[in-house]
Amino acid sequence: MAEDEASRISAAAGIEPVLEAKGLSQGQIVRKRFLGHSGAIIGLVVFSFIFILAFTSVGYLGIPGWWKYTHEEVSPLVNGGAPTSSLWPLAWGEHPFGQDRIGRDVFAMTMRGAQQSITIMIVIGLIAGLIGVVVGAISGYFRGWSEAILMRLTDVIIIIPALLLAAVMAQLAGRRDQGSWFASFASTNGVLALGIFLGLISWVALARLMRGEFLSLREREFVDAARISGASNARIIFKHILPNAVGVLIVNVTLTMSAAILTETALSYLGVGVKAPDTSLGLLISQNQQAFATRPWLFWFPGMFIVLICLSINFIGDGLRDAFDPRQKKFNAKKAKDHGDPAVQAGAGTGLDASAPKDPRDDGPADGTRGQ
Amino acid sequence: MRLGRISKAVGVAAAAAIALSACAGNSGGTTPTTAAAASKQGGSATVVEVNAFNTFNPNTADGNTDINSKVSYATHSGFFYIDNKLNVVRNEKFGKMEKVSDDPLTVKYTINDGVKWSDGTPVTAADLVLQWAAFSGYYNDADAEGKTGTSYFSYAGDPTGIALTDFPELGDDGRSMTLKYSKPFADWEIAIGGPGIDIPAHVLAKKAGLADTKAFIDLLKGMPRGDSKAPKPANAQLKAMADLWNTGFDTKTLPADPSLYLSNGPFLVKSINQDQSLTMVKNKDYNWGPEANLDEITVRYIGEAPAQVQALKNGEADIIAPQASADTVEQLKALESQGVTVDVGNQLAYDHIDLNYSGPFADKNVREAFMKAVPRADIVDKIVKKLDPKAAPLDSQLFVPDQAPYAESAKNNGSSAYQGVDIEGAKKLLNGATPEVRIMYNKDNPNRVDAFSLISESATKAGFKIVDGGLGKSDWGKALGDGSYDATIFGWSNSGVGVSGVPQIFKSGNDSNFNQFSDPAADKLMDELIVTTDKSKQDGLVAQIDKMIWDSAYGLPLFQSVGVDAYSDRITGVKYMPNQTGVWWNFWEWAQK
Amino acid sequence: MVTYIFRRLVTAALILLGASYFVYLLTAASGDPLEEFRANPTPQKQQLMDARTELLQLDTPAPLRYFKWFGGAVQCLVPFANSCDLGKNIAGQPITDALGNALVQTLTLVTAATVLAILIGITLGIITALRQYSTLDYGVTFMAFLFFSLPIFWVAVLLKEFGAIGFNNFLRNPEVPLPVALGIGVVVGAVTAVALGGPMRRRLLAGAVVFAFVAAVLIYFSATEWFKTPGLGPVLIAIAGVGIAFAVTLLSAGLKNRKALQSALIAVGVGVVLYFLLQPLLNEATFLMIVVLSVAFVLIGAGIGYLVGGYDRGQSMRAAGITSFLVGVLILLDRYMQAWPTYFNNSRVRGRPIATIGASTPNIEGDFWVLGLDSFTHLILPTLALILISLASYTRFTRASMLEIMNMDYIRTARAKGLSERTVIMRHAFRNALIPIATIVAFDIGALIGGAVITETVFSVRGMGFLFLDGIAHVDPNPVMGVFICVAITAMVFNLIADLAYSALDPRVRVKA
Repeated sequence: MAEDEASRISAAAGIEPVLEAKGLSQGQIVRKRFLGHSGAIIGLVVFSFIFILAFTSVGYLGIPGWWKYTHEEVSPLVNGGAPTSSLWPLAWGEHPFGQDRIGRDVFAMTMRGAQQSITIMIVIGLIAGLIGVVVGAISGYFRGWSEAILMRLTDVIIIIPALLLAAVMAQLAGRRDQGSWFASFASTNGVLALGIFLGLISWVALARLMRGEFLSLREREFVDAARISGASNARIIFKHILPNAVGVLIVNVTLTMSAAILTETALSYLGVGVKAPDTSLGLLISQNQQAFATRPWLFWFPGMFIVLICLSINFIGDGLRDAFDPRQKKFNAKKAKDHGDPAVQAGAGTGLDASAPKDPRDDGPADGTRGQ
Repeated sequence: MRLGRISKAVGVAAAAAIALSACAGNSGGTTPTTAAAASKQGGSATVVEVNAFNTFNPNTADGNTDINSKVSYATHSGFFYIDNKLNVVRNEKFGKMEKVSDDPLTVKYTINDGVKWSDGTPVTAADLVLQWAAFSGYYNDADAEGKTGTSYFSYAGDPTGIALTDFPELGDDGRSMTLKYSKPFADWEIAIGGPGIDIPAHVLAKKAGLADTKAFIDLLKGMPRGDSKAPKPANAQLKAMADLWNTGFDTKTLPADPSLYLSNGPFLVKSINQDQSLTMVKNKDYNWGPEANLDEITVRYIGEAPAQVQALKNGEADIIAPQASADTVEQLKALESQGVTVDVGNQLAYDHIDLNYSGPFADKNVREAFMKAVPRADIVDKIVKKLDPKAAPLDSQLFVPDQAPYAESAKNNGSSAYQGVDIEGAKKLLNGATPEVRIMYNKDNPNRVDAFSLISESATKAGFKIVDGGLGKSDWGKALGDGSYDATIFGWSNSGVGVSGVPQIFKSGNDSNFNQFSDPAADKLMDELIVTTDKSKQDGLVAQIDKMIWDSAYGLPLFQSVGVDAYSDRITGVKYMPNQTGVWWNFWEWAQK
Repeated sequence: MVTYIFRRLVTAALILLGASYFVYLLTAASGDPLEEFRANPTPQKQQLMDARTELLQLDTPAPLRYFKWFGGAVQCLVPFANSCDLGKNIAGQPITDALGNALVQTLTLVTAATVLAILIGITLGIITALRQYSTLDYGVTFMAFLFFSLPIFWVAVLLKEFGAIGFNNFLRNPEVPLPVALGIGVVVGAVTAVALGGPMRRRLLAGAVVFAFVAAVLIYFSATEWFKTPGLGPVLIAIAGVGIAFAVTLLSAGLKNRKALQSALIAVGVGVVLYFLLQPLLNEATFLMIVVLSVAFVLIGAGIGYLVGGYDRGQSMRAAGITSFLVGVLILLDRYMQAWPTYFNNSRVRGRPIATIGASTPNIEGDFWVLGLDSFTHLILPTLALILISLASYTRFTRASMLEIMNMDYIRTARAKGLSERTVIMRHAFRNALIPIATIVAFDIGALIGGAVITETVFSVRGMGFLFLDGIAHVDPNPVMGVFICVAITAMVFNLIADLAYSALDPRVRVKA
């Protein structure tokens, strides 16, 4: 009865029916909200499609794909290199995205590029997420000296330019006389090495954000309760606090990932990212800039994939942000005003404190100045 | 383009001029076509260049980028220039250059009265002596490792020819100089004195603390030829002048001291906007040579070809000469409807892949195997056919197809072994080995990138492990010959087309012999070549050297480059030029409509 | 407070020390500055290597060489000593010179872009937050993400093709054909209809009005060749001024405050009078004069507000001051437009004003207005490109912040006590939503000094980014360090400012002294 009352009132106040009031678990709420976010769903579908297409078509890690060409294979020019696919009649043709002037299949190259770009993105997301959580958790939970040291470390890293690190890495990887394990690793797995390097510097914003979350969550009653009942620090961190901060984490990891794709594009453009003959989407479009007006397919297809991947990741992130944030409901100021104020009760949150602004770059005052 | 050395360009042009004029039955030395009377006087033009200007002395090792040479060409004059038919055109208004005797070869240079620097000082024999001292390396006594002795002028060109002369004889009027060669020298006509006499001796003398140019001449006269076996302590005054010559003219902005940018040619530099543009205005005094129609030429720097095309399209540039690629040419052709004129022509340059005589390629079999794996026909089809439907792989290291001896030499030099890709043959030569080969090329030049991809694809099939050593446009030139790669794809602007150019690239230990090719027999032939003035004998020698180069599995020429320039309908008088001077060769004929 | 700032500065200095040491070592480790000479067969080899070694002090190992560099750099802290020494680059140019040149280039490029991106981004963010999940919200979100996802060099190429070449072609014969005018009108009208909230009838009506207005204006412009000789004129300034007066009053004081509206309208009247009086003066304009005039306009407006008074004198002063300033901007704009034909027909511009490269037309000569227009036509495309790609973060962030605030208890309280929606949004929500944005703005300004590397490359501007990139490419530590120090110091200073502003704006945050 009370349940119905609540949803009726809130609906009347211009707020979507409040799902959490039905006694769902947090996971269920998040899932429902996420699935209700059409932009995010479209993003997810598009991204899954690209992911599957890229990784099955030209093969990965030595597993052959179903597409007949690889990104390095040169074949005779068909149709002067122009795309053979057509919408009407719907046909795929020999080289659906065309060929570059020496006869490599643009579809294969684009797919390989998408693989590489997605790999970099995921590697960066994982590394940045992992380090960010650990550093943020330790400094936010334990405070004191560990916090001071870790936060000064992030201060140092945040002002070191990514471009410089990428250039140093490119130089090291390119130097043949060195013969160290790193040089050999970097020259054979250029993409992975680049991803790891970028991951090692992009955790900083995340760490600051996680620290903010931990700072506020550790003061909450449920943490005190856990502590009194004798839980260890590790247990409190991983079982009690982290699940409550996971929303902020996931959202910001997705945003870091979408920024990572663009970082890779920029670095490849500046000549310190992925190097030919391996390829990435960024490298493809920067290599084919000149063909912009005359053989547009060389430029547009890889460009389209960058935009699609980036756009879908951003929408997924946006959907997650809305899904994890209990305060963000379909809110209509006009209606709320017209209907007076009963929306209030429904607005009271779930267990998640979302007071920290949800942007990867925001970390509040760096020095623990956010008092309560 | 580091290879844009005046000397080289001149060398190429001269030899090519001899070759071409021989074919055409045209005796060089036509008088300059006086600018069409119809051309409008005044106006301005904006020319786009890739590199930013950085020195007023384009002859030094560090200053010899094409832009510095071009600015120098427009602001200085000399006894001759090269036209786009590759003839040496004498400028009699500047002075007279005459061969006094054939044996010993003696050349007399006389500068006309009234020729002067833009500060009013006359151009005299002292300026010629300075150029002679710098170009000949006469006073250098440093040994090869640079451990003992002194190396004065850091001249980028080839000193071989002019080094055959002793201190010149100077006329009493101070305006003439006579050079006597100890051996005949084929390219005497273009050895010195043009196209620009670019560094004023009186400025150098003054800055080195000498009283005047007479003291300068006396100082040089008193010094003996440098001997690397018996080095002497450096002469402080000459050293001071040489240092000034080497670096004193380097600048990114207009120097406060006007004596550092004196002109004696049709234009003088008016302003430099660091890394953005350079503006030249007409030299009002100039009347000793072809006079310019335009009042002002602005040079702007744009690195990328698409940006150049867009700047032309948008009217910010009037004349561009971007790196030719199918895309660029096609884009430019599309602009013809807007009144843009596009000139496409062959360049006196060709792309080639050179193999280092060291590292994995120390073994000749490996070099041969690699050469068998290079898909030359495929490269030509895919890279230049779109620009030039008649293109074919180049089959000689020293001749270009326009030259008569090309066919004969191509038939006999052993190039026939590398007509098609022979993966099996390459595998046999490699005998199961999988050498790792690092190929260096200019990553910002799409032709080289694609040639690399095709070669890499094919060579991988033969068992080579190809490492991509491509470098950006600012770095690849510097990396040449530094041993950081095993093979390199790049272009020679003149290689083998002229006789002076031959030893520069192929003689043991020479400056531009980047892959350390060394063959004593070939060295000997080259020594003979540069003192041979007879054209047919030259061809015979060159053909022999060509064969030696091919026999030693030096590398492969790929194709002759295609050049393009384009100019807007505002401008007339721009003509295509195959050599390094490019469109600048007749800048005085440019006129605004 | 002072202790806090002091402590922060000391920490910042230590961080800077550590980071600069690290960066120095990284740059030194990234390659061999002598590489280009190593296998050079010329006799000068040793000499050249010695010269380079001496120039860059390569005989000292990098960990120690840092301190030599530091010794020079530290002198930059001594005020007026003029002994700042950041070393020289490979070409022998002192870094302080190179930095000066590059800094000017970069600042001209990025300043306008940043300010505009922040303003537009915040505005859009607030509008989308107020209309959450509307078509407008989805549209803006999609566009923002789309532009964010586009590689900037691509945006740049497209902008050059259409924004410069296409627009210049249009200017040659600035006629808008009737179908095009109608088409643009339809598009703008449709966007308005979609963007506007409310019932369908109101939207359609507004869309139709906008369509008619836009189409009519375009036809009028086309007929009078307005694009060739643009201008506003006193009539248009007066009309626009009245509009501004209403808008400003609406936002700052509410239209119910008649006194505020009155003073804003008076300010417009005074502005129109000043328009005539100022024309001769403006012909001799200098930059300083414009600054003085704009201050004067604000003061005049505030003075009018003070004299008109009313129950809330402050509000009147504010409304009139802002209105007066904006009218001043219109007068300035009009004067620039008057200079347009001169600029357009300048022999160096030759009727193709919008440029694709560089920061100015070489050798252009002209008065203040012509030079200003020259900068404008060169900067517009890179500025647009930068705005498009940086809009997303501001828009999204403001939207999130605003949504959060709109759900706060005090907003509910404000509504409950019967405040108007305008007051709730402008006074209570908007201000508080801006607090967290101050942080990212501060960060962005810090990062800006580093230059927009790719934008600089594409538009042939040699600024800080280019200097940095070039230094890295040539293993030249001094320019890299120079740029790094500039960027790091600005970033840290602005970070400190952001934190102080945070504590000043948000009463819940207290500085731990």
